[in-house]
Amino acid sequence: MESAQSSGVGSGNSDTYTPEIAESLRFQEEIQSLIDPSFDGSPAAGGSFTALLGLPANQAVELLHEQGPGELPVSGAASSSPTAGEMWRLRVGEEAAPALRLPLDCSPTFPSNAALVERAARFSVFATAESPASSTGGGPSPRLKTEPADSDSPPTLPIAAEKPQRPTKRKESEKSKGKTPAKKSKNAEENTGGDKLPYVHVRARRGQATDSHSLAERARREKINARMKLLQELVPGCSKITGTALVLDEIINHVQSLQRQVEFLSMRLAAVNPRIDFSGLDSFLSAECGPLTAGNGRGGAVLDPAMWSSEATAAASGTRRLPQQQFWHVDLMRPQQPSTMWERDGASHPHFLLNPATSLFVYDPANSVPLNSNQLKTEL
Amino acid sequence: MESKSLSRDCNNPNPDPKMAFHFLRALLHIQQSAATTSFTGRRRRIKRAAYASMAYSSGARRAWSRALIHTLRRRRQRQQRARTAVALPRRIRVARPPRREVAAADQAQVLRKLVPGGTGMEYCMLLEETADYIRCLATQVQLMRNVVDSVTNS
Repeated sequence: MESAQSSGVGSGNSDTYTPEIAESLRFQEEIQSLIDPSFDGSPAAGGSFTALLGLPANQAVELLHEQGPGELPVSGAASSSPTAGEMWRLRVGEEAAPALRLPLDCSPTFPSNAALVERAARFSVFATAESPASSTGGGPSPRLKTEPADSDSPPTLPIAAEKPQRPTKRKESEKSKGKTPAKKSKNAEENTGGDKLPYVHVRARRGQATDSHSLAERARREKINARMKLLQELVPGCSKITGTALVLDEIINHVQSLQRQVEFLSMRLAAVNPRIDFSGLDSFLSAECGPLTAGNGRGGAVLDPAMWSSEATAAASGTRRLPQQQFWHVDLMRPQQPSTMWERDGASHPHFLLNPATSLFVYDPANSVPLNSNQLKTEL
Repeated sequence: MESKSLSRDCNNPNPDPKMAFHFLRALLHIQQSAATTSFTGRRRRIKRAAYASMAYSSGARRAWSRALIHTLRRRRQRQQRARTAVALPRRIRVARPPRREVAAADQAQVLRKLVPGGTGMEYCMLLEETADYIRCLATQVQLMRNVVDSVTNS
């Protein structure tokens, strides 16, 4: 490949270009097969980066065969550069991000390929566009000029910056150092402003390695750091600690302590359980599921009839205490289970209980809690 | 920073009603059948009910809850099979090769053992699942404390 590149540098010789074109087309197919689930199929659609690949490839082919680099890139670029200029940041990220989210051993070459292709495509677009018509043209054109200075990629690349016949060289990894030390944009989960599609828009910071592997690694590291921060917020007393090892220790301790607490509480419940008084439990439930509205909008029978039946028998005195504020947002249970319990139980008296009780479980912050208890008392 | 659903209601766990209903129903069930079971058996069942309600509340959305449900079901199946199985003749115990000592100093490994289903995950998935697991555990602990308090105070 190197020899082909070096031989194809100065000449417009179509003989040396055809293997490159074939190679680039094969590469394009490979990319297409890689992103097959999301592949548009139409090269002109502004969907995937293969569309982007399609355009410069066509342009390049036209270029080579007509040998008129002056006219064609301009005419081609005029039509394609607006779309290309938008697309150059394209859905590469969208495809790269799911791949990044996958286990990394699943498709190991894909993110690097995608990042490679993205930058190569971007580069090739701006190599053909003599006047950087797109809005981002200001950035890359100084970048193009600094290419000869900074790039440590194959030495044909700086020469390729000048020559518009070179856009077929897509397999080269471009080292593009952002001159602006500025915005390192985020991962695919973050939407850039104005665009509907999330994509990876990772720009290398000043002084950092910019090859695809380290970019993907850096994206992964950012994800891990973000999650660690979330965990630090979750675990109490962890935000002061610096250093991931100590934070991880703290997290492990917290998880272990929570599990031990579950065990102790279950022991206490088991001890308490024989003398569990279901009037207390009933009031606990009624207070927690809060006030009621007339209808059960959700339609699901939230109740457990067996539970209510036992509680009705147990709490015949009907003293409904209202425990304190336990604001439980009432949601639905699975509607199957109450019905099956109903059939299994066959109890007759929960019938009338079911109606106020089903209405019990619809959460309405406007109503007051005493209404609930009054209704219960009247029904019983 | 990605604002996923992890960061919502993180520090004050609002009790999940699904979790509450499941757990309370299970408690009731255990108590009804608890006339003959021992204290340890009851405790084990309550613990299992706690984890089950935790797993059902975040049903199949989370990897840890899926793994937890799977574990619980497998344990239940094994119990049932053990109950109905014929008593086998006593097996000759084969000495297993000593298991290779995994360095527990690797914290990710420890975390993987703690979080259900953690062995199959990569690192950043593990962190995300740990965060959700912590939140759910805290909710469950809060729920159990509420139940105990309400029962002991009444």
